[in-house]
Amino acid sequence: MSMTATAGRAQADPHHIGVVIEHPGPASKRIVTAYGFWIFLLSDIVMFSCFFAAYAVLSGQTAGGPKGSEIFEQGNVAIETVCLLLSSFTCGMASIAADVRNRFWFYLGMAVTCVLGVIFLVIEFREFADLVARGYGPSRSAFLTAFFSLVGCHGLHVSAGVLWLLTMMAQVFAKGFRADVLRRMMCFALFWHALDIIWVGVFSVVYLLGSGV
Amino acid sequence: MSDQMHMHAEHDLAPGDEEQHSVGVRILGYVIGLALALLLTGTSFFIAGTDLVWQPSIPVALIVLAIAQMGVHLVFFLHITTGPDNTNNVLALAFGLLVVFLVVGGTVWIMAHLNANMPPMDQIMRMQ
Amino acid sequence: MPVVRTVEATMLGKLDWSAIPFDQPIPLVAGAVVLVAILAVLIWVVVKGHLPYLWHEWITSVDHKRIGVMYILLASVMLLRGGSDAIMMRIQQAVAYQSQGYLPPEHYNQIFSAHGTIMIFFVAMPFVIGLMNLVVPLQLGVRDVAFPTLNSVGFWLTATGALLVNLSLVIGEFARTGWLAFPPLSELSYSPGVGVDYYAWSLQISGVGTLVAGINLVTTVLKLRTKGMNYLRMPMFCWTTLASNLLIVAAFPILTATLAMLLLDRYLGFHFFTNEAGGNVMMFMNLIWAWGHPEVYILVLPAFGIFSEVVSTFSGKALFGYRSMVLATMAICVVSFMVWLHHFFTMGAGPDVNAIFGIASMIIAIPTGVKIYNWLFTMYGGRIRFATPMLWSVGFMVTFIIGGLTGVLLAVPPADFMLHNSMFLVAHFHNVIIGGVLFGAFAGFEYWFPKAFGFRLDERWGKAAFWFTFLGFFATFVPLYVAGMLGMTRRMQHYDVAAWRPWMIVAAFGMAVLTIGVVCQIVQLVVSIRNREALRDRTGDPWDGRSLEWATSSPPPVFNFAFNPDVRGEDAYWDMKARAQQQSLEHEVPEYRDIEMPRNSPTGFVCAFFATIMGFALIWHIWWMVILGGLGAFATFVVFAWRDHDEYVIPAEEVARIDRVNLEERRGLVSMAGAT
Repeated sequence: MSMTATAGRAQADPHHIGVVIEHPGPASKRIVTAYGFWIFLLSDIVMFSCFFAAYAVLSGQTAGGPKGSEIFEQGNVAIETVCLLLSSFTCGMASIAADVRNRFWFYLGMAVTCVLGVIFLVIEFREFADLVARGYGPSRSAFLTAFFSLVGCHGLHVSAGVLWLLTMMAQVFAKGFRADVLRRMMCFALFWHALDIIWVGVFSVVYLLGSGV
Repeated sequence: MSDQMHMHAEHDLAPGDEEQHSVGVRILGYVIGLALALLLTGTSFFIAGTDLVWQPSIPVALIVLAIAQMGVHLVFFLHITTGPDNTNNVLALAFGLLVVFLVVGGTVWIMAHLNANMPPMDQIMRMQ
Repeated sequence: MPVVRTVEATMLGKLDWSAIPFDQPIPLVAGAVVLVAILAVLIWVVVKGHLPYLWHEWITSVDHKRIGVMYILLASVMLLRGGSDAIMMRIQQAVAYQSQGYLPPEHYNQIFSAHGTIMIFFVAMPFVIGLMNLVVPLQLGVRDVAFPTLNSVGFWLTATGALLVNLSLVIGEFARTGWLAFPPLSELSYSPGVGVDYYAWSLQISGVGTLVAGINLVTTVLKLRTKGMNYLRMPMFCWTTLASNLLIVAAFPILTATLAMLLLDRYLGFHFFTNEAGGNVMMFMNLIWAWGHPEVYILVLPAFGIFSEVVSTFSGKALFGYRSMVLATMAICVVSFMVWLHHFFTMGAGPDVNAIFGIASMIIAIPTGVKIYNWLFTMYGGRIRFATPMLWSVGFMVTFIIGGLTGVLLAVPPADFMLHNSMFLVAHFHNVIIGGVLFGAFAGFEYWFPKAFGFRLDERWGKAAFWFTFLGFFATFVPLYVAGMLGMTRRMQHYDVAAWRPWMIVAAFGMAVLTIGVVCQIVQLVVSIRNREALRDRTGDPWDGRSLEWATSSPPPVFNFAFNPDVRGEDAYWDMKARAQQQSLEHEVPEYRDIEMPRNSPTGFVCAFFATIMGFALIWHIWWMVILGGLGAFATFVVFAWRDHDEYVIPAEEVARIDRVNLEERRGLVSMAGAT
């Protein structure tokens, strides 16, 4: 729909000089849905900002436990980051495939995204399990509380994303590229890319700043 | 497709939607985005571990690089532009960022003052 | 025996017979009465055969008008619950001079916690959200909100939260920690019972519902407006709806995150707000008020919008200073995020931080003042009709100015050091919330009731309700100001200071007058329903209104408008009437078209069912039930996503049949106006 809807835009005068623009009426469903989801993402980011703020406040409160630099492993974080970045790319490929209604590339893009997401989750889970096994679980200190919650909250979002991704693939399989399925796919892509942006904050603030200083 | 639908499209674009391009151009956008993101990430990881640069500048550099990378993601993956069709999306984003800034900045500022004036229980105990 | 106990612990978690308060007659009897009442209503519904109607027309409805009405119904019922708590507190403080009164401390503490929680989250919020739901799509000239099914989900999740809070009356206990559950008191070590869990999970669940409503209404206002409805032509109520819902979207995630941290502390031994291991109690105050302050503007901004509509309609004039009003609204929307520290001036942030937040708090009074002057100038020179909605609005202006002024006083940090957590503060925020939000909700209720149901409310009982509430309010809360000045702190179960006692007795007397006001309102509803034929609004425009909701019939057809109206300026419907565009429209035979509307869906109700199970199981640590609830909720979403037909078509003939009836009535009105 958006393909044809934007066709007429080249000739339009974008500035409407000297003309009162009359509001044209309700927007199309695709715009409404995506915009609503965009608003949801902003609220989700505000929620993350609270966990970031809590981390900033509590990161020095180690209560005799380990500091960030003693427990973070940069190698793991680098692999996680590359996984998420590549998955953002493959997710983009899948949305292009959905727009041109190419099933093969859609499934491939989504499958690779899913695998990368799962690899990310496995690495994160092993990091957490390892810390807990060493006695550095979230109840050890306020710093570890804030660390586990912030990173874990992102991890939960990725898990939810993987669940959504699989549901999306099943929907395309069952229903094809219907307009409502395409709208959901667009929302999923927004969600996945936004998680990547959050991760940029996480690895910069938590892992890199935390291990350096 | 009626004329009215064209009218909407002129004013508005869904967040995440791009203007009409060929598949090749769209893929190219993602490739550029990925390359820039990897470059910035690499720089971040490099700077965090190096002692080639003046140490106190590292936190600032990391934050600047992070913000730059978020910008790259917004432009190349989420297709946020400054065009008139994106005004609503950008305004919503700006409002969200303002709140994020107020919450994080305000919390850090307030808590620093509270901690300085009335340290938490265990800090007092440690001081004694 | 131990085996049996483990099985019981797995099956029922912390739940056992000791959860039922057999030793406390008040909650038990109250709970039993409510339970009997609910059962009686249910039996009546089933026996009379109303169940299918209720299910098809209301419970599964995705019509924004129906959902709005259900929100308001929920708020009204909860108002009675929160009001009974208030009555009990006022009586306790009147009698508990040098004695224990009739409420034991742990019960009294639950009552004031429940009162605050219920009044803010389950009265004020659903009331304003209900009015916005009901009116905003009509004012924008569109057929529905942006996400109709999600709207239903949001309502039912709010109802789930309310259900859980009330469940705590008979199963277990409610929080004794005040309406914001400050740690360390709310941490597991000091509140080991389920009270805080009831509090936190019901707010988490209803918070999701509120967030959904916020997203929905923001998208509706920004993306669904009829042709020609430019931003600066929107009715004021739409603007305040936009601002209020932007605040919901930006602030409620903060509440969710903060309560999540508290729950992690309680359930998994985290250390966000504990005294041990480096946790920081102050961070809770900081985060919860970063939500809490925008929250008061979330509540009062829609009320401001209602007053703008009412004052302009009943003065027969366009709203004075429309653009300054828009600017003031959006200014409040932004500045409300910069003042939260004034709730904890006394916690030691130091002079510079306190000064900046104090100044910001005073600054926010400026756009509010702009609004007051705009309403006054709207009334100036107008032909004012003192119908009930207008009475509530004028009463609001008087009350709210006093509340606002005491607020500015509290915004001065040195003064706040004297008045913090005193009865003066209690009087202040009741002054703005009752005088602002509740009066606004009542004004909106009286004003839009004919639109929702097709008949007006009885004016005599409405006026009586206003005067009793208005005078009762002052009789209750002015004494509290005085008691605060005399040094009385809030939340006292008993006291020994003789000077406070007379004021507490006057306040209890005032509460009685306030209660008469509420009774009048119930009587008004009953009387109006009985006389509905005499009060019938046939034209759809009972108040000589100015905005588009009055351009359709009362109650509006399910599709709201047969044609999406074409807007050419501010006060769209007034404009149409003035240019007699109505007439020309009526003389042409319009060409009706098929209308597509969203199908009803039980998704919201089913979702809330699973949310209730999950919330209850989480509170009582019944883990298998948590998993069951979670799976059920996910399955509900998948089933919903799998549906093939989400819309149905109303054929053009049906649209024509419905619309012509209304046009006939309106033509009668126009010709009558022409004759006089």
